[in-house]
Amino acid sequence: MPRYQDLYDAVVDGDAKTAKSATERLLQQGVDAGELLSDALIPAMDEVGRRFECNEYFVPELLIAARAMKAAMELIRPKLAATGVQPVATVVIGTVKGDLHDIGKNLVAAMLEGGGFAVHDLGVDVPPERFVGAVQEKKPEILAMSALLTTTMPAMRETIQALIAAGIRDQVKVIVGGAPVTESFARDIGADGYSDTASAAVQLARRLVGK
Amino acid sequence: MLQLTLLPSGQRLAVAAGTALADLLFAHGVEFPCGGRGACCACRVRIARAAPPPTAADRRAFSEAQLAAGWRLACQHRVLADIELEIGDWTAPVLADATPLAVVPRPDCGIAIDLGTTTIAAQLVDRRCGAVLATRTALNPQARHGADIMSRLDAAARGAAEALRDAVRGELGRLCRELAALAPAPVRLVAVAGNTAMHHLFAGLDPRPLLSPPYRSPHDGERVFRDAELGWDLNGAEVRLLPCLGGFVGGDLTAGLLATALHQREGPALLVDLGTNGELVLGDRQGLLAASTAAGPAFEGAGISIGMRAASGAISAVEACDGGLRCTVLGGGPARGICGSGLVDAVAAALTLGWVLPNGRLAPGRRELPLGDGLALTARDVRQLQLAKGAIAAGIVMLCAQRGIAPSAVERVLLAGAFGNYVRIPSAVRIGLLPFAVERIAAVGNTALRGARLALHDDDAAYTALRARVAHLELHRLPGYEEAFAQAMAFPAS
Ligand code: B12
Ligand code: FES
Repeated sequence: MPRYQDLYDAVVDGDAKTAKSATERLLQQGVDAGELLSDALIPAMDEVGRRFECNEYFVPELLIAARAMKAAMELIRPKLAATGVQPVATVVIGTVKGDLHDIGKNLVAAMLEGGGFAVHDLGVDVPPERFVGAVQEKKPEILAMSALLTTTMPAMRETIQALIAAGIRDQVKVIVGGAPVTESFARDIGADGYSDTASAAVQLARRLVGK
Repeated sequence: MLQLTLLPSGQRLAVAAGTALADLLFAHGVEFPCGGRGACCACRVRIARAAPPPTAADRRAFSEAQLAAGWRLACQHRVLADIELEIGDWTAPVLADATPLAVVPRPDCGIAIDLGTTTIAAQLVDRRCGAVLATRTALNPQARHGADIMSRLDAAARGAAEALRDAVRGELGRLCRELAALAPAPVRLVAVAGNTAMHHLFAGLDPRPLLSPPYRSPHDGERVFRDAELGWDLNGAEVRLLPCLGGFVGGDLTAGLLATALHQREGPALLVDLGTNGELVLGDRQGLLAASTAAGPAFEGAGISIGMRAASGAISAVEACDGGLRCTVLGGGPARGICGSGLVDAVAAALTLGWVLPNGRLAPGRRELPLGDGLALTARDVRQLQLAKGAIAAGIVMLCAQRGIAPSAVERVLLAGAFGNYVRIPSAVRIGLLPFAVERIAAVGNTALRGARLALHDDDAAYTALRARVAHLELHRLPGYEEAFAQAMAFPAS
């Protein structure tokens, strides 16, 4: 039984209003922000992911749960920074060059955020140089790339090549995904991981950073 | 020479050793959606005798038992021995059209062509009266380079542009020659309507603008050729390639506008081409809005566990009956899979039975949707359908919002394209693919072909002017798309 049931339920049910008001109330009562994250939001997003994996939830439910989680995070994030709570790890994420599809990428970003990661989202149509620049600047443990077009998948390989050329490939784990991407493609281009769903992406990221 | 025997027809082909199966089988109805990369597994065939050793892609696609039975991905193999191959009794349904039209008479003949991604239909037209004298259909020979437009454009950008151009020009030239031989008067004009990708590949234009944002080509206007430029011999006839409407809304929809006269209507109507790449035009005489919405290939059976295209052995219709699903199979034999119209029906019926809930989940305790003959749809198949129909419905909702009207204010909804003509309208409404009342919706046949036929009589190229009246919308730029898409993925409660 999670400790902050109402917040937990609000996120799992995708009720952004209640998620926000519950968070406000709990923070006012003096509950520690880090505790809200670890005892309500993370378990809630894990449950959302579990329901997605077993086909109970689909994209719409994921989207509204992500929105509820974000409503709570907006309030929690400043407190986390203030109390010096460290994220599990940092992730830089984006949709690759030539591609504007971002629904899947946004879900992955939200699930990672809900999983306790700090997420820097570079948006869509991100060229290799920008991924490289962001890795140099944000020093993330993980770089996540999404592609929905068979024609933009090669940009993932180009980005990995650009990381190598910049001499920073070994500083970051690269994970890739999106409907046309496969495990064998990921291996082929030298990525460190692949998953076919946003929830599995969280497990993958945790495994890669050893947490 | 080696011998390839096709089962069950028994047809024999003499083949040079080493010929790729992809080069041989396309003409017999096997499709290569991913262009032979071993990624889509849609080119399944059973090699009944002398099956070659399986490749890694075969191993991913089939179980040991299936491999032992001879199942292979056709794109992975060449003919290296005499083989027998089972491809079933495939057919290529091509929509023709012979609706009488009111036209301005001309003293000669013309040829109207619907250049589709999969199929081609050409008609010989007597321009003196507008009558259709003969029709020829064929498969688009470019399909060997991929089933969908993105794979084709990508292949073109990677060096196959000339091969793709020459393949389609050659095939259209052949059809024209056959038709011209039947003509009672000289053929002076050919009008070709195709989607934006077909337009570019036929004209031999640079495909790259269509492969990266903003997915708009500066060269998508009308193109005029002489027969000789295309390598055709039609005594100097002129060949007009109809202009596109913008982005991925192509010349097939320009023709569709001519055929349906949407631009002359008093009240708003919607023209929908339901396909892998859905194309939409909404409007009336005051103005028209167009958008493309990439639904994906679920309506063609791809990406569905037991999906196949509409060919014999495909479940094409499903009804709820005695608490279960009753299926109709094309050709009447045992079912081998399900095609798009069957899929839409099956999910509509399953909603009625309460087997699928409005959010797309299977009812508690239900693991699949059994269809008989050992076939069943999975929970994941329902999800794929939600994505495809959600994309179309969201496009419709966004267009209506942009026009400032509710979908209920759209007076007529006209369905073009092959799938639009086969799907059962009440089922399409039941699953929320078309958010309209059933009575407002009608299938209108092959409007690309009919429009091309009208263009044959349209000397002053009124269709070029038509293009200026259409505003093209890019859905990804419109705020609220994601919300609309998420909502449109759900099934209506009743
Ligand atoms: C919605 C959609 C659009 C929307 C996009 C809106 C947006 N903001 O993203 C709009 C209408 C704008 C659009 C436009 C286009 N689209 Co589109 N689109 C789709 C559609 C219907 C669904 C995609 C989607 O959002 N799925 C839901 C999400 C949640 O799934 P997902 O992205 O796969 O993500 C999941 C996993 O893959 C994973 N994941 C995703 N990213 C990552 C990253 C990492 C690191 C990890 C670990 C995991 C992971 O987690 C997610 C959740 O579990 C598909 C067709 C279909 N049936 O799937 C076509 C489709 C992707 N589009 C396609 C095309 C061609 C286009 C266009 C280029 C052309 C056109 N006709 O419109 C244009 C323009 C391109 C552009 N804007 O980039 C094609 C691609 C074909 C091909 N050969 O590549 C498809 C397949 C449809 C088709 N066959 O025609 N599209
Ligand atoms: S696997 Fe896609 S064409 Fe063969």
